[in-house]
Amino acid sequence: MATRIGIDIGGTFTDLVFLRPDGRVERAKVLSTPEDYSLGIATGIESTLAGGSLRIEDVAQIMHGTTVATNAILEGKGARVALITTEGFRDVLEIRRLRMPVLYDIRWRKPRTLVPRHLRFEVAERIDHEGRVERPLDEAGARTVVERVLAGKVDAIAVCLLNAYANGAHEQLVRELVRARDAAIPVTLSSELLPEIREYERTSTTVVNAYVLPVVRHYLGRLEAQLRARKISRPLTIMQSSGGAMGAAAAAERPIHIIESGPAAGVVGAAELARRLGNLSLLSFDMGGTTAKAALVDQGQYLRVGSLEVGGGINISGRLLSGGGYHVRAPAIDIAEVGAGGGSLVRIDAGGGLKVGPESAGAVPGPACYDQGGTQPTVTDANVVLGFINPVALAGGGLPLRRELAVKALEEAVAKPMALTLEEAAWGVHRVANAAMARALRAVSTERGRDPRDFAILAFGGNGPVHAATLARLLEIGRILVPPVPGLFSALGMLFPAVERHYVRTFKRDLAALDGTALEQAYRAMEEEGGAALAEEGFAPGMRSFERQVDLRYIGANSELTVAHGADGGNDARSLRERFGAAHEHQYGYRSDEEAVEIMNLRVIARGVATESHVPERLTLGAEAPAGMGARQVYFGPAVGWVKTPICARGDLGETWRQGPLLVEEFDSTTVIPPGARARRIAWDTIEIELG
Amino acid sequence: MQAQASGEAVLRKEMLQTRDPFALELIKNALVTLADEMALTVSRTARSFVVKEALDFSTALFLADGELIAQGTCLPFHLGAMPFAVRSVLNTFGGRIRPGDLFVTNDPYDGSTHLPDVVLVRPIYREGALLGFSSALAHMTDIGGRIPGGNASDSTEVYQEGLRIPPSRLWHQGVPDENLFRIIERNVRVPDKVIGDIRSLIAACMVGEREMIKLADRYGSGPFRQYCIDLLDYTERFTRAEIAKLPKGTWRFVDHLDGDGIDPRPIPFVATVTIGADDLTIDFTGTSPQVRGAINCVFPFTLSTALACVRSIVDLSIPNNAGYFRPIKVIAPEGTIVNPRPPAAVAARGITGIRIADTVFGALAQAVPHLIPACGSNLPEVGVSFGGTDAHGKSFVYLEFLLSSWGGGPDRDGMDACTGTLVNYSNTPAEMIEADQPLAVERYAFVPDTGGAGRFRGGLAIERHLRFKADDAVLQIRSDRRDHRTYGLAGGGQGAASDVSIRRADGKVDHLPAKFLTRVNKGDVFAVRMAGGGGFGDPLERDPDAVLADVVEGKITAAHAREGYGVVVGGSPPGIDAAATQGLRTRMRRRS
Repeated sequence: MATRIGIDIGGTFTDLVFLRPDGRVERAKVLSTPEDYSLGIATGIESTLAGGSLRIEDVAQIMHGTTVATNAILEGKGARVALITTEGFRDVLEIRRLRMPVLYDIRWRKPRTLVPRHLRFEVAERIDHEGRVERPLDEAGARTVVERVLAGKVDAIAVCLLNAYANGAHEQLVRELVRARDAAIPVTLSSELLPEIREYERTSTTVVNAYVLPVVRHYLGRLEAQLRARKISRPLTIMQSSGGAMGAAAAAERPIHIIESGPAAGVVGAAELARRLGNLSLLSFDMGGTTAKAALVDQGQYLRVGSLEVGGGINISGRLLSGGGYHVRAPAIDIAEVGAGGGSLVRIDAGGGLKVGPESAGAVPGPACYDQGGTQPTVTDANVVLGFINPVALAGGGLPLRRELAVKALEEAVAKPMALTLEEAAWGVHRVANAAMARALRAVSTERGRDPRDFAILAFGGNGPVHAATLARLLEIGRILVPPVPGLFSALGMLFPAVERHYVRTFKRDLAALDGTALEQAYRAMEEEGGAALAEEGFAPGMRSFERQVDLRYIGANSELTVAHGADGGNDARSLRERFGAAHEHQYGYRSDEEAVEIMNLRVIARGVATESHVPERLTLGAEAPAGMGARQVYFGPAVGWVKTPICARGDLGETWRQGPLLVEEFDSTTVIPPGARARRIAWDTIEIELG
Repeated sequence: MQAQASGEAVLRKEMLQTRDPFALELIKNALVTLADEMALTVSRTARSFVVKEALDFSTALFLADGELIAQGTCLPFHLGAMPFAVRSVLNTFGGRIRPGDLFVTNDPYDGSTHLPDVVLVRPIYREGALLGFSSALAHMTDIGGRIPGGNASDSTEVYQEGLRIPPSRLWHQGVPDENLFRIIERNVRVPDKVIGDIRSLIAACMVGEREMIKLADRYGSGPFRQYCIDLLDYTERFTRAEIAKLPKGTWRFVDHLDGDGIDPRPIPFVATVTIGADDLTIDFTGTSPQVRGAINCVFPFTLSTALACVRSIVDLSIPNNAGYFRPIKVIAPEGTIVNPRPPAAVAARGITGIRIADTVFGALAQAVPHLIPACGSNLPEVGVSFGGTDAHGKSFVYLEFLLSSWGGGPDRDGMDACTGTLVNYSNTPAEMIEADQPLAVERYAFVPDTGGAGRFRGGLAIERHLRFKADDAVLQIRSDRRDHRTYGLAGGGQGAASDVSIRRADGKVDHLPAKFLTRVNKGDVFAVRMAGGGGFGDPLERDPDAVLADVVEGKITAAHAREGYGVVVGGSPPGIDAAATQGLRTRMRRRS
């Protein structure tokens, strides 16, 4: 029978999850190998194979999330790229949208432009906003430009001409001129990658694609070679930021789609779990060492945004202030991130207020209790002092901890200056961290017009299950779910997505004057493109499905809303208007029926339909942990104080409720069930917690 | 069993303890998030370019007495101005405010800072008592008056500048005042956009109301108010501690506007900054009397600008609330351009705010020379407004503010193309302009050799060329920095001057003054070149490799490298002639 492997690469560890067809889950954690990540993966697979419980022949598929594209950008190690653009516009890439991600900061520096000015070339041509050629491409001039580009010894070429979203003919001509001189160099055309209005966003996206393309292509080639050398010739599928999967070959051509593949996988897992548990509505909450991430899953469906910024750092008001990173216009799951995690540093500011993060102790030196030289307290130190985290060793018996170092750090940095007891100080740190993380949860709920109280929290990441209960109380949320392998849940999430391709095309016109034939033609063209892509990944015509969407806005409004363009008709102007009005009311709390509406973009999602569900009905963890692991003192706040709290394993929980206080300790995390709450184990080996 | 106390009860009990040092942090976090949520509501639902791309709007929350407790991360230029709107509403309606009311003002002399800025103020009631206010402000695309866009700099009285709405009830106990809405609709050129933007502000105020009540529900109105007061005190302590770190003394700086568009004489600005033990005073005594043109800047805007400048040299995590204002005193004598008397025209006060900022930064640079960069052209000094009737007989207004680059800093070159810290402007995509307006953008690019020379180079000027596709339209331009250029610091040179011209359809080129109003026709091309940023430090000390890199990048020419920096660059690929450079630099040092 066929086993599928999910692989998530982090800065420190590479997580591997093996899912057998009967639903049994095995896991492995190996050190990442940043000089060549494919080595770590090979080692991880090899060690599991050596364990004897899995055979090479059993492996059906390998699903992978990778930060290789992101890292190339963050470390400035992408390709040497030339940009060809319209006369008068070569500085668009560097001028950007002018905006800064922070107010008042005279020390801020804008990110280095990915293509230096001397590698940005102009050609004389002009296409207007309706796609009419105002001035034909000056081919002689363009040939000279191509010569100069190639003389610049570049690894890849990006072409983005003004208004090319409306007509890509001149971009194609430029590519032909390149091909006539060099048949191999990768060329990314904006009109093929992203035929969408707004020249900076399109230019930046095209340039990022060209910049990471050679790196991603090389990495995926190495990984496939490593796997082949171990006689694993199963398909390698890559996770996209959008939550869909794509074949390795396609990912190498359009790497802008795999930039946020790791974080997306956790949310895909959350959505799958939500569907299996009856189309639940969840807030996924992923708390790791340096950041916490939140996403909204509405009745089993996650939401997407149209763009992301790479390397922008973490910014709480990121949705308002932008410009910190490299803009990439590609669909991505709507994830909010804040700089609060287990390793977040704690300090007192000049006004006497307690600050948690966004600075982090990182993997080295790590929290004070790790005894690796860290002396400044972290959130993890507070959780150790409170008894939430095992004070002797990290769960799973890995790294030994020294509680006395956590105590010392908190005493000196917080308790003494604020004249508090040790537990008051630790409790305060825990709550202030929650306040920061609540902002991420609010960003995906309240800011989207949704009330968090209507959702359950799905907590994962090493620290998610530690904070979930207190965070839920802050947001007045009553129900928490902790999935199996919470610390490796992103790797598990890799196993769920379908193969997907996203297409967008600007089709800007007044809805009132909608030409149904032109619209249908535009959709058909996009579906043909999607069909061809799916064919390349092995999906026969009967195994392809297409979802049509349309971006609408009130004429002149800032942002568009995406609504369904239904497969079963009902897409006349009046119905679309109504659907948009309802969506606007849902999102922003009002609608303006007297205002004119316009279409901005058409979207198509092409999906490969799997012959059978590749996810078993039930998931169970391979090894049952021993029952009854004793008890320890845990501090649950001043009203409750210290409480002797029993410790158990996930396997000790049954279908009947068990009253808190209780700690569930396992390999990769600790779940805290406070007094007044109760917990049980439900389908998919998930822990359900109800707060009192 | 005590252990089963509900989470809510636990939380409330903690909060009610006389001294919960963490409630402060929790409330602060909640308020900042809330003000930002209001801001997001505006930015997502607004109609006008000014709001969307320029973020020219703000949101805020107040206690019942009008004390500012949080402001959204929008436009720093509004930092100290929002409380004036609430104060105006309290002055006008005090004692007659009722649940469900909603107030509006755009009167620069009574709660706003120029007519295009419409401010809404919503009283928030909980359990029958006034809990506070939520407020939102946005710059409208048009507010009527002589010139489309409401920013004309050549008006001489506020009466010419458009519709003036004193503090008024827009809603009476939940019922919109149809008369007021109709008056607004009839007085502006693009009523759908203006009313759309007002709706967007209303939505933001409602978000603020709903969520502030939820917060008070959690703690109770009394404790909530007390925690807010604690938060203001904490902010004041924090600010004083930061000011205490600065050197003590008095520093003075003078800068100029080229003219007001009517009178060509330069307009002096004087800022005297005094840093005390834990407080700071900015005194504008000596600044020009108020002027005839519409660039007078009402006091709330002057105050905001000064407060926002100081914000740049203290810890960035200080919250935006009234506590921050307390240690900072701003003196602006009445009757001056920084505190005019009515009915002085004020529509184009933005440019004055920019010069106020340049002047204050010039004074602060003497106090903290290691922090402050040379003068940039990174604030939206150039205003372009273009209005008329398109081929289909529909009227249009295009409004954009342009900016370019930073001045060189104490340890770095000025950023080429980036908004300054006092605004958070964005540019409008050329493709959006072309799709929505009868305009074509022909060029949007850096101009070489325009950054002030310095050990750290000033940022480059940007130019924009617009071709008109409609006949008989009105073009109105506000620019400056032609006679009085951006200043350098520590021996750095000035940035290049700004320039505007029109190449008429028949090929004739009109060179125009910095501020003008003219008619344009199809085929005319308007070219604006913004100013460059000033340089920092002696240009002869600039690393020759950095000069060479600028030549390779086409940001400076080889001629400028020689004349401005004493660096001789030649050959292909370009390289430095070390001997010639050394000789030239020695000669230039001797000369200076």
